[in-house]
Amino acid sequence: MTDAALAVTQSAVEAFTEHYLESLGSTIEKRGERWEVTIPDNEDTELPAGNLSLLCGDGLEGDATGEPLHPESEFLQRILREASERRPTGKLSIETNQTEVEVPQWLQANDVEVTDARFTPYYDRTAVVVLYQLSIETVSEYQQEFLRAIAIDHRSEENLPELGDTFLRMTSMTTNTTSTASQSSLADADARSLLDAARNQLMEEVQTEIDEVHNEASRAADAEVEEYRQLQQQRIEELEEERSKLSSKIDKLSEAINGGDQDDRVEALKERKEIKAEYEEVASELSDLHEQRDQGFPQKQQEIRNRHALDVRVNPLTITEVEYERGEIDIELNEEGVTRTVTVGYGSGIGITDDVRCSSCNREFSAENPLKTIKDSLRCNRCTSSNN
Amino acid sequence: MSGYDLVDVEVTHESADDLLDSLSEDGTEGDHLQSIQAVRLQAGQPDSELRSLKELDENSVKLLEHQVDAAYRALFEMDGKALLADEVGLGKTIEVGMILKEMHFRETDESVLILTPAQLAKQWQAELREKFGLDFICNYDDEFEDFDAHDYIIASIDTAKSERHRQTVLDRDWDVLVLDEAHYVKNEETDRYDLIDRLSYNYAFFLTATPIQNELTDLYNVVSLLRPGLFGTRDVFHQYFVNSNQETLVNRDELQDRLNKVMIRNRREDTDIDFTDRTIDTRTFEPTTKERELYQAVSDYVKGAYSQDQGQKLVLMLLQKEVVSSPVALKRTIEKRLYEQSELTHADELETILDLIDEIDTVTKQERLLDIVEEARDNVEMGRVIVFTQFRATQQQILDRLVSEGYTAHAFHGGHSSSEKEQIVEDFEEEGGILVSTDAMSEGRNLQFCNMLVNLDLPWNPMRVEQRIGRIHRIGQKRDVFIFNMALKDTIEEYVLERLYHKIDLFQQSVGELSSILSRLEESGTSFEDQIFERLVNADSEVDLENDFDAMAVDLQEQRELADKLEEFNSGVFEGFDLGESDD
Repeated sequence: MTDAALAVTQSAVEAFTEHYLESLGSTIEKRGERWEVTIPDNEDTELPAGNLSLLCGDGLEGDATGEPLHPESEFLQRILREASERRPTGKLSIETNQTEVEVPQWLQANDVEVTDARFTPYYDRTAVVVLYQLSIETVSEYQQEFLRAIAIDHRSEENLPELGDTFLRMTSMTTNTTSTASQSSLADADARSLLDAARNQLMEEVQTEIDEVHNEASRAADAEVEEYRQLQQQRIEELEEERSKLSSKIDKLSEAINGGDQDDRVEALKERKEIKAEYEEVASELSDLHEQRDQGFPQKQQEIRNRHALDVRVNPLTITEVEYERGEIDIELNEEGVTRTVTVGYGSGIGITDDVRCSSCNREFSAENPLKTIKDSLRCNRCTSSNN
Repeated sequence: MSGYDLVDVEVTHESADDLLDSLSEDGTEGDHLQSIQAVRLQAGQPDSELRSLKELDENSVKLLEHQVDAAYRALFEMDGKALLADEVGLGKTIEVGMILKEMHFRETDESVLILTPAQLAKQWQAELREKFGLDFICNYDDEFEDFDAHDYIIASIDTAKSERHRQTVLDRDWDVLVLDEAHYVKNEETDRYDLIDRLSYNYAFFLTATPIQNELTDLYNVVSLLRPGLFGTRDVFHQYFVNSNQETLVNRDELQDRLNKVMIRNRREDTDIDFTDRTIDTRTFEPTTKERELYQAVSDYVKGAYSQDQGQKLVLMLLQKEVVSSPVALKRTIEKRLYEQSELTHADELETILDLIDEIDTVTKQERLLDIVEEARDNVEMGRVIVFTQFRATQQQILDRLVSEGYTAHAFHGGHSSSEKEQIVEDFEEEGGILVSTDAMSEGRNLQFCNMLVNLDLPWNPMRVEQRIGRIHRIGQKRDVFIFNMALKDTIEEYVLERLYHKIDLFQQSVGELSSILSRLEESGTSFEDQIFERLVNADSEVDLENDFDAMAVDLQEQRELADKLEEFNSGVFEGFDLGESDD
């Protein structure tokens, strides 16, 4: 699935800034890398009305004054924030004449020539495309953020991946043919239901990414648990040594108590009492540790695993109602003088909507099993290669 | 990979209420498209490029594609924590130089610590300064105070871990840590490992050509320092990736995927590095009787003085080097010792040496040098030859002699300002003739328009020799290169040349190979120069001395073979690994 993020190149930055400032009614006078901008009073923006100098690029000449404009500049971040919140919902139409008729891949890997492809639209359909921000965060891995476009048909709520791709192409920085009607006609209830469908689709599609981070985070947690276990084992060994030292000290003192004169005995008894207390303390800590070890340090394990848990956040950022057309496409084919016309269901922006099958084996044509010949009838690669 | 429990996953779906509310708001045509584009741009990475590249001086450093790629990936795809594991000789230092330059440009390098083996510290300092204009202080500099007193430090890892400095190093939050020859921290039970493990840093770049020294666990240790948890626990790593005989890998693909996140390994065969041939001509000359007498007198004096007072080691070493360079170089040091420092204990001996110096009227090396430059005049373009000497006095005498013989001669030494130095190199290129240079030239200047070099005397540090040669034999040199070494028979220089340098094939090694041999040697706790000197002064007889040098050569050869073997072993292990960028 394509990531919907756009590369923040200098040219993209300049193109966006120019369009945005103009949409606010500003005028821009370009003098090389220096833009003199006049911003009018406009309630849509927090940019102060008046004159502003923008310096495009790195602004390497240190003496130039003005607001820098480059991929990491403050000014860009400011207008991106403003623009992204200005109209997060709207409508976009895919006109047939805006998109070239897409010849399916299964028609492209053969000697058959496509001589013509004509689309006849029968009816308008609508879909929504939602841009989702997805972030996956855990302590051991860098936070990962994705932006994904999910397209869902309004009526059937089926997923239309090709329409998602068309949407991304049409809203890239290089596009200038797209017209967007300002207001979506979607009812709130419909929009909610479509958002749910889109969200389910999204979660299905990003499962692999989540699984990958999930495995990595689990491995990191495991390494930490193991490290902790080793540390405790070391502590156990130290304590065992300490206990045995104390134990022999106690034995020695007991001997002294049995043998020495009264003063020594009293002294030894006192000392033995102290050491015994120390011994008890060590023995108790040791027994605690033994118990925890035998149970596999459940509390600590839980603590570590909780800390490594994945936090996945899904945030819908824009909703676009997309109007497109459905109908049929006539594809004229030619192979060494033999011509045939194939008529299949088609939608602007979504491509072929019907399955087309091999007339010999009835297998569906696909990029993996393309059309091979049309001479006798439409036959697939498998049929023709098994005949050879 | 199995053997671990999965942690929890919590999924939060943010509310869409605000978004749905905006469905009913009015707007202007085009605004929604801009909102979409703004959202898509916000999610995009700033166009990451090495913006400092255009600031680099092409004359100082020629960057190769694989180096630029490595620097880019380490910075932008690995989030500034990378193991640079190119095969030897592909310029890992250059890669780090570019990374540091870029970070400097982006002002993300407030404090940088570069840890290297001791013998390579000065080399790093010189390269970063000359090639990238980055100024670092080295722990061997007089100005070095401590690890909290400077922001850009190059230090030997052993100095950093020493009791005196360790805590200061650890107390600081470093922006960038660079660790050269990272395989020396492979053992988790050493102080070095402990130091790196405890160091606090934001970005780290580890360098090694041989991430695996003995067993595959080495790789686990080095990588785990950089990215803890990437491989899970040691046991799981073992069970999953290492065949029980320790020599082979299993589940290579997954290891490769994992390593791809943190390690970059370029192989020689994948790069376009192509060096021209290097011809070495070592000429040993019979000294005159007077020269032989002088050499003997100086050697006897050095030996005697050292046995009485080892604190004078440096100056005694200097005398021993000067006597084979030129009598005039020696004379200055002796006079200084005698008259300025009022050396009384050995005054007689020193006076005798001075008399012997005065008696010398023919300096063999200088006479023979004329033969070589004469050959050059007939055979190389514009008769361009670079003559290297370690001493200014020798340099001056040669220059005088060459000029009196009618040659065009240029002098280059550390006393010139940098603009003067540039002018000298320019003149040499345009006018041809002979450039007589001290080792001040060894730092980073490109002279590949010249292809003949004479070592009039020989540094005892092989890296210095390689640096001299590296001035002309580098990427961009289109012609074969000729190196002449000059030595007097039966002197220390002959031993060093014949018994050591030739045995390890020094003159055919690349810098990378040499540094791996030298850092191995350092691991065994010895400095090359010290070894030479100790052997010289401690030998009881000529035969003893010869045997001593042979023994040292055997050591070196062993280190070299070990280094070669390791390199081979690592290539074997990583064979079939496409450790370049993955497709997804």
